[in-house]
Amino acid sequence: MAQRRRPSKVMRLWDWSVPPAGVHREVLSIVPEGWHDQPRATRKPPILFVHGLAHGAWIWRENWMPAAAERGFPVYAVSLRGHGDSGGRTKLGRTLLRHYVHDVMQTITELPQPPVLVGHSMGALVSQLVADRYQPRGLALLTPAPIQGAAYTLPKLVRRRPGAAAKVLVGGTLPLGAEQLFTGLDDVTAARYVDRLGKESPWAQYELMLPHRIGPVRCPVLVVGTPDDRVVDEAAVEETAAAYGVEPIWLPGIGHDLMLDAGWEKALSVVLDWVDERCG
Amino acid sequence: MDVIDRGGAWAVVGAGPHGLSALKNLLQLGIDADGYERDEDLGGNWNFHAENSRVYESTHLISTKPFTQFPDFPMPDDYPDYPSHWQVHRYFRAYADHFGLLDHLSLHTEVVNVVPAGDDRWNVTVRDRHTGEETTRQYAGVVIANGHNWWPKIPEYPGQDTFTGEILHSANYKSADAVRGKRVLVVGAGNTGCDVAVESAQNARETYHSTRRGYYYNPKYAFGRPSDQTADLLLAMRLPLGLRRVMFKTVLRLTVGDFEKFGLRKPDHEFFETHPIVNQQLVYYVGHGDIRPRPDIARFDGGTVHFEDGSSAEVDTVVFCTGYLARFPFLDESYLNLDGDHPVLARQIFTPSTPTLAVSGLIQPDSGQWTIAHWQGMLIATYAALRERDPRAAQRFYERMVAETGVRFTGGTDYKDSTRHYYEIAHQEYLRAIEDDLHALEMAGV
Repeated sequence: MAQRRRPSKVMRLWDWSVPPAGVHREVLSIVPEGWHDQPRATRKPPILFVHGLAHGAWIWRENWMPAAAERGFPVYAVSLRGHGDSGGRTKLGRTLLRHYVHDVMQTITELPQPPVLVGHSMGALVSQLVADRYQPRGLALLTPAPIQGAAYTLPKLVRRRPGAAAKVLVGGTLPLGAEQLFTGLDDVTAARYVDRLGKESPWAQYELMLPHRIGPVRCPVLVVGTPDDRVVDEAAVEETAAAYGVEPIWLPGIGHDLMLDAGWEKALSVVLDWVDERCG
Repeated sequence: MDVIDRGGAWAVVGAGPHGLSALKNLLQLGIDADGYERDEDLGGNWNFHAENSRVYESTHLISTKPFTQFPDFPMPDDYPDYPSHWQVHRYFRAYADHFGLLDHLSLHTEVVNVVPAGDDRWNVTVRDRHTGEETTRQYAGVVIANGHNWWPKIPEYPGQDTFTGEILHSANYKSADAVRGKRVLVVGAGNTGCDVAVESAQNARETYHSTRRGYYYNPKYAFGRPSDQTADLLLAMRLPLGLRRVMFKTVLRLTVGDFEKFGLRKPDHEFFETHPIVNQQLVYYVGHGDIRPRPDIARFDGGTVHFEDGSSAEVDTVVFCTGYLARFPFLDESYLNLDGDHPVLARQIFTPSTPTLAVSGLIQPDSGQWTIAHWQGMLIATYAALRERDPRAAQRFYERMVAETGVRFTGGTDYKDSTRHYYEIAHQEYLRAIEDDLHALEMAGV
């Protein structure tokens, strides 16, 4: 009847014929005492955090998870396969975004009710792909990997960081240092965090270059960016926000890793206030 | 009698996978909904202890997880490729818990009457099976998801009433205890018939297996992969039917062998013309002489069964695995546009005379079931949401639907004429049609 406007969300041919195998998943969680006993209709919804490229669930555990739990939210964070303490490290070279989607979907089915999905960077793109098949309570996209595909950023990357660009093109992990991720963090802490970064799947990185089209998402969407982000530029944030018909929230002064950088409290309160207001 | 007006809410009859999916999708799209389940627990056919459950102790899925599960609630990674009915039931419980469906579901509550209340609305009378109390509520629409695999279809052969042994329908077959140590005749080569024949071969003294025709017995695994996933890969590549038939028959020939050499009859039909049988063990037991293939029954005579090829066998127990018929005891069946004994609907969902009466689950896909259950539920829910927001657009959509009443989704084959294929669909073709319908509804503003 209607024209096909976008890749099918019904016909998951690859997932049907070559389904991702399961791997051990690291899922960190803090559930406030007494939350389970509260009535389902009025208690605060669970929040599921999805990390970005080369990161792991630990980034949420540092600051955001305890603080959000303090505000009464049950919080969960999953390490995508090949990241953090999840399995699948040896197969990272064969991992696609759809494997990450599988890991997030598996985690969701273990939660007591539909969560608010909070995705960061590449995790924001994974979260959107998840929201294309599962209706979360809300969808928060933090410094999101560009929905229009990151290919347009390549010339800039080649100009500014030719070594990094060359590495990505041959399948290496995009090198991320303190100068890319943080603006106001002390050197010792920043170095400790950068040390914990792992590898990324070359195929997932290539997929980040491609445009992604998501169907109608029937939940509140929040898009957060920062003008001081040296990984994801403002165009990526604006394009993503436009795809959902929302205005992005800008948080000047914070770097790409806004859950670790100095000023994380402000970023977290933007997200939690939005959850309280829109996803109750 | 007082009628409680439920306003814009829809009623869902049955809390098996299709009922649960309809309930969840209605609620998720902002339509209030009440589900009714006659048993003590949800799960429908997969609720082993329910009166109308037709699974037996050894039942496992015959299609693998990826396209059998709800696409927005995958089965756990630690489930096997072909989960057991216990795991399936746990899975449905987890689904209902996660989406909060239990708050909207009345258990041990049987729908006894569904009648029009004018203006396309419905009065639904339900009876609490604990207290016997009856209540009538009025709804904006009704989704019927009472299943089509619970009312046994029992054949009649000459002399059947003279048979001195025991006659059982698979509806009442719960475990191998029914056949242990006996001389058994299993009738029918559906997936249940083959399961029971295998179980009988392992437990009974003698097993005869009577089938109307030769079939293709597909293995659950071929070349180290679940064979249904390979089949879907070929479908995804949009290979033509003829080529797929050749490939399937070649694979069967290479992995299982020539059925005739096992003493089975040569299939009298083309691949895909009958509902797929997935059973890796049947041929094995035929090869060991533990299952003796026989043609159709000619007549019964005391303790003896005579077959159409002139052979006969002395048996103690006959298990009719002859399938089920759809029944809708709570509804004037004329609303379902019956052709003889089965409804003829649009998309096998929408009833042609009433825009607010939909059926979910009246399908038998050549693949997994609950991915389709999800999209059927989604289509009904999206349509219900459009009716609330823009009744005229919804009416236009409905009229376009019913113009296609009776259109089948066969994947280009002619199904063999049998009650078994009333609801048969080729899953990819069917889902593509549903997806187009969903797009149309989304365009209309849901």
